[in-house]
Amino acid sequence: MTTFGWYPVFLKEMLLFRRKLLRIGYLFSAMVAPFIYLIAFGFGLGRNVSINGTDYLSFLIPGLVAMSSMNNSYTWVCNSLNMSRLYFKTFQIFVQAPIKPASIMMGEVLAGMVKGLFASSLIIMVGFLSVDAFTLSPLFVAALLLNCFLFANLGVIIGMRTKSHEDTATYSNFFIMPMAFFGGTFFPVDRLPLIIKSAVYVLPLTHTSILIRKTVFDGEAMLSLALLILCATAFFIYGSKLIRQYSE
Amino acid sequence: MIKIDAVTKKYGTITALEHIDLSIGKGEIFGLLGPNGAGKTTLIKILTALSRPDSGTCAIDGIDVAAEPDRIKPYIGVAPQENNLDRELTAYENLLIYAMLHRCTDRETRIAETLKRVDLWDRKDSIVAGFSGGMQRRLLLARSLLTEPAILFLDEPSLGLDPQIRRQLWDIIRKTRIDGRTVVITTHYIEEAEALCNRVGILAKGRLIALDAPDNLKMNVGRFVVERINEDGKLIQRICPTRDAAHDMARGENNGVTVRKTNLEDVFIQLTGERLE
Repeated sequence: MTTFGWYPVFLKEMLLFRRKLLRIGYLFSAMVAPFIYLIAFGFGLGRNVSINGTDYLSFLIPGLVAMSSMNNSYTWVCNSLNMSRLYFKTFQIFVQAPIKPASIMMGEVLAGMVKGLFASSLIIMVGFLSVDAFTLSPLFVAALLLNCFLFANLGVIIGMRTKSHEDTATYSNFFIMPMAFFGGTFFPVDRLPLIIKSAVYVLPLTHTSILIRKTVFDGEAMLSLALLILCATAFFIYGSKLIRQYSE
Repeated sequence: MIKIDAVTKKYGTITALEHIDLSIGKGEIFGLLGPNGAGKTTLIKILTALSRPDSGTCAIDGIDVAAEPDRIKPYIGVAPQENNLDRELTAYENLLIYAMLHRCTDRETRIAETLKRVDLWDRKDSIVAGFSGGMQRRLLLARSLLTEPAILFLDEPSLGLDPQIRRQLWDIIRKTRIDGRTVVITTHYIEEAEALCNRVGILAKGRLIALDAPDNLKMNVGRFVVERINEDGKLIQRICPTRDAAHDMARGENNGVTVRKTNLEDVFIQLTGERLE
C-alpha cells in the first residue's frame, strides 16, 4: 500500500478538470448561479440595505463564497463519482487497485476542493474589485478550505449512495438548496424565527457563513470551527467506509 | 493457485451463481464458457474483489479474496467486459494513472512497451473517446498487462472485434501464457475457447455444468456431428462417437447432409438443450 495512494486519484480528476476548463460552457456553469445572486441581491436589491452597520455587498460576498464553494465542491464530486460508478465504470480501477479506501476518498475530496476553490476564487476577485474593505483574513481562508473539504466529503457520500444519476438531484433539492438560502448566505441567521433558527444552526453552511465573516477568533468562531471539523471528520470516515464496503 | 469453494451470489431474487466449486492451476489458460447471463462476469467480479459472494469463498494462493482483497490486488490484472477506460483522457494518461495506482516502477518505459505491444503507440496522445471499439479493447488489454500481473482476468476480451484483430489478441494472450501467467478468460465464442484454453468450465444459469479440457468435453459427447436441414428449414443434428458411425448415419439420410467434428457448442447443446448465444 502506498502512502500517496490518493495522488493518482487526484491526478486523474485534475486531468479531466483541465480538459473541462478549456470548454467555455464549464466556466459559465460554475459561475452563473453566484453571479446572478450577486447582481440581483448585491447590486440590485441590496443597494440601499445595510446589515450590522456595513453595506449589504460586504455582507453578501463572503456568503456567496461559502455558497459557491459548497455547491462546486459537492456537485462536481457527487456527479463525477456517481457517473464513474454507475455509467462509465471507471471507479472500478480504483477499487481493484492496491490502495486504501481512505486514499480513494482523499483523492476525490482534494479534487473536489480544487473545483470549489476555483469557483470561489472568481467571487473573491469580484469582492476585491467591488468592496473597498474586502480582505482575506486567516479565518476566511480556514472557513473556505474547511467548507470545500466538508462538502467534497458529502459529495463522495452521496455519489456512493445514490442508485441513479437522477437521485443526486433529489439530494441537492433537499439538502444543498435549502442550505444555500437559509445557511446565512443572504441574511444573518439570527433574524430567523426561533424554531427555524434552531434547525438552521444544525446545517454546516450556517457555521461556515458565521466563520467566514469573523474578524476575531471569539467563542462563536471557535464553536463553528469545532462543529465544522467534527462534521468533516465524520463525513470523511463514513465516506471511506462506503468505499471499503463497495460491491457490485 | 485459484480455488473457488461453494460460491453463491444472488441479485435480489435472481441467482447469478449457485454453489460453484472450481480450481485453476498456475500457468493455465482457463476458459469460462456460457451464454449471456450465465454468471461468467459475476464470477470474475468476485475473483477480482469487485463483488462479494453471498456464501462460499474464493482464494488466490490461499488468500481469501473477500476477506483480504488488498493482498491479492497487486497480483491481478483485469480487462473487464464493460469498457471502463476514461474516455476523456488519452491512451497514455489512462495507462499512467493505472501504473501510478499500482505503483509501477519505470512507468514511462513500461507504458511505451505495452502500447507498442497492442499497436497503439502512435495513438498514445489521442483521446480515448475517438478510438474505435477494437482500439479501446486493445487498450483495455494493454492496461491489464501493464503491471505484468501473475493472474490475468479477461472478460469477453474479443467482444465486438473483427476476426483479424481478434486473432492478434489471441496471439497476445498466448504469449502471456508463455510468460508463465495464469489467464482466466470468459467468452461465449466457441472458437476462442477452443483456440486458447487448455481447460474450460461451462456455466449455464449460474451453475457449473461441465469442467474439463475442450477435447475431453467433446469426446464425452461424441466426436462427430451429422447435420441436415429438414423440410421446415430447421437444423437437425445428431452426434456420433466415431467418424465411421457418422458416415453410416449420413448415408442413410437424403441430400444436404454434412459431417463435421464436434465443437464446444455441441457440448453445450447436449448438456443444456440450448444454444450458446
